[in-house]
Amino acid sequence: MALNANIRYRQIVLLLAAGCVFLGPRLAHAADEEGKLDAVAHTADGVYLDFAPFGAVELPRIFLRSDPWGLDVFPSTRSALLSERYVMEHKEDGHAEILHGEALRDAIDHHEHLYAKPKPAQGTLVLDLSITRHLVFGVLAALIVVAIFLGLARRYRRPEDRVAAPRGIFQNMFEALVIFVRDEIAKPCVGPRYREFLPFLLTAFMFILCANLMGLAPYLGAATSNVAVTFTLAAFTFVAGQRKGTKAYWTHLFWPPGVPLPVKFILAPIELVSLIAKHFALALRLFANMMSGSLLILSLIGIIFTINVLFGSLAAALVAPVGVAFTLFITFIKIAVAFIHAFVFTLLSAIFFGMALEEDEHHEEETSAEEQPALAG
Amino acid sequence: MEPTALAFLAAGIGAGLVAIGAGIGIGNLAGPAMEASARQPEVAGHIRLTMIIAAALLEGVALFGMIICLLLTLKA
Amino acid sequence: MDIIVAQSLLEPNAGLIFYKVIVFALLLFVLGKYAWKPIVNALSEREETIDASLRKAEQALEEARQTGAKNEEARREAEENARRVLQDARTAAERVRAEELEKTRARIRQMQEQAQAEIEREKERALEELRDEVAGLAIRTAEQILEETLDADRHRKMVDRFIEQLPRN
Repeated sequence: MALNANIRYRQIVLLLAAGCVFLGPRLAHAADEEGKLDAVAHTADGVYLDFAPFGAVELPRIFLRSDPWGLDVFPSTRSALLSERYVMEHKEDGHAEILHGEALRDAIDHHEHLYAKPKPAQGTLVLDLSITRHLVFGVLAALIVVAIFLGLARRYRRPEDRVAAPRGIFQNMFEALVIFVRDEIAKPCVGPRYREFLPFLLTAFMFILCANLMGLAPYLGAATSNVAVTFTLAAFTFVAGQRKGTKAYWTHLFWPPGVPLPVKFILAPIELVSLIAKHFALALRLFANMMSGSLLILSLIGIIFTINVLFGSLAAALVAPVGVAFTLFITFIKIAVAFIHAFVFTLLSAIFFGMALEEDEHHEEETSAEEQPALAG
Repeated sequence: MEPTALAFLAAGIGAGLVAIGAGIGIGNLAGPAMEASARQPEVAGHIRLTMIIAAALLEGVALFGMIICLLLTLKA
Repeated sequence: MDIIVAQSLLEPNAGLIFYKVIVFALLLFVLGKYAWKPIVNALSEREETIDASLRKAEQALEEARQTGAKNEEARREAEENARRVLQDARTAAERVRAEELEKTRARIRQMQEQAQAEIEREKERALEELRDEVAGLAIRTAEQILEETLDADRHRKMVDRFIEQLPRN
């Protein structure tokens, strides 16, 4: 009993220490040099990796421009601007001016260039292919997932290992995740043809989970808190689902059975819009949850700085423990949210796949019609 | 009142309404779920799972509203 | 500055989408080919093995149960047989005993009858002898008495008449 209590205390202390480690960098980079809080800039995508208090690392900029066509690659935003081939605007009081020379150097010193949208001095910008922070996090998440599951796959190389019980934490943990996706998501939602969609569902689940959890790690961020990333994922879901759409599904979509002819012409666009909207909501849900989480954490920390400005440092010192405690609480919730939203995204994808695979059986349509609106909301 | 101030006001009120809506929704969801799992503890795990899914979906809708509020403040 | 940042928060970045499509497609391909295929196959293989063993065990159990039932049946049958054999034997013995008894009884009766007949015959013969004896004796006595008065034929007739008058037994 005494030993147990001892262990529990140690666990709590460890947990608090872990919490401090998690929060440390956030506290440090929530406020930049001028003591100004910039929650949005840290939640949003950027062209630099923030390693405050050790400084920031700028990421390479790649631009595709036309008139004349060309692909410009720079090691950083700074070098792009200093080369004078790309310029940044400084907006003040409604009118924008292009910075040159001393003013440009001054702006770079104030890190203004990190938030600017550089434009080519000649020609027009077609596509900004710069490596961004969320891309780095996304690729990192993808690499982690690949490393984990290629490692797991190696465990099954020998035939005798395939039938043996899983050994060790690693295999048990990730095998449980795989089985969870297969048995709780793919099998009940997709139906008998679940094996076709299992690779996609597993990849999406593991990638989103890894990316979500990375949002909790110091110096890293969630790639899924970027709307472009979640839209890409939803687009993959859309394509994967429609690619396997059955005849009954397409008929149901464009030529709804059992209604008079004029209604068919009204119903078909509605069905189409709802199909697009479902996938749109899928992307937005994941993005909004992930983004709001990091925004919330930074805002809770920001309360301390706001109170510091408004009521002085004494009030801020009093508020600080409350803010940190709340942040710790939200961080724990975010761990749950990371799992839940990986699950929800995959589950809804599986349900959409199941709908695309529906066969022309009336009783099946009825049951799915009952379930779908509730889940697609 | 100037338009920017109105936008901020609208965003604040909107955020509050979103919170109320989400609160009511999750309350409506969690209450019966608790009751149900108290009545039938053997399916409590399943109820909790579906409750979390529904709560996540509800939260998703609330967050759509939150994004509109965010847009109002950021673009004002 | 704030506006640009805020826009980047909610506006999809085309470049990022471009990269993300490549990264995710690659991820799907690599994981699908080198991770999910072996993992999922191994898992289903294992489940099949477990299922097969379970089914086999169930089958064995069922077989054992059947064998047990069969054994029980055989035992009952054997018992029944034994009982029937015993019953048969008992009945046969009973029958044999009854037959023997009957036979013995019949023989005894036969023997009794034979004895009776023998006795009857003996008696008849004895009577015959006695009659002859008596006739001879009477003749001799009568001869002695009536020596001269009667010839032999008259004597015989007289004796026969006498014998006729004698009681039969």
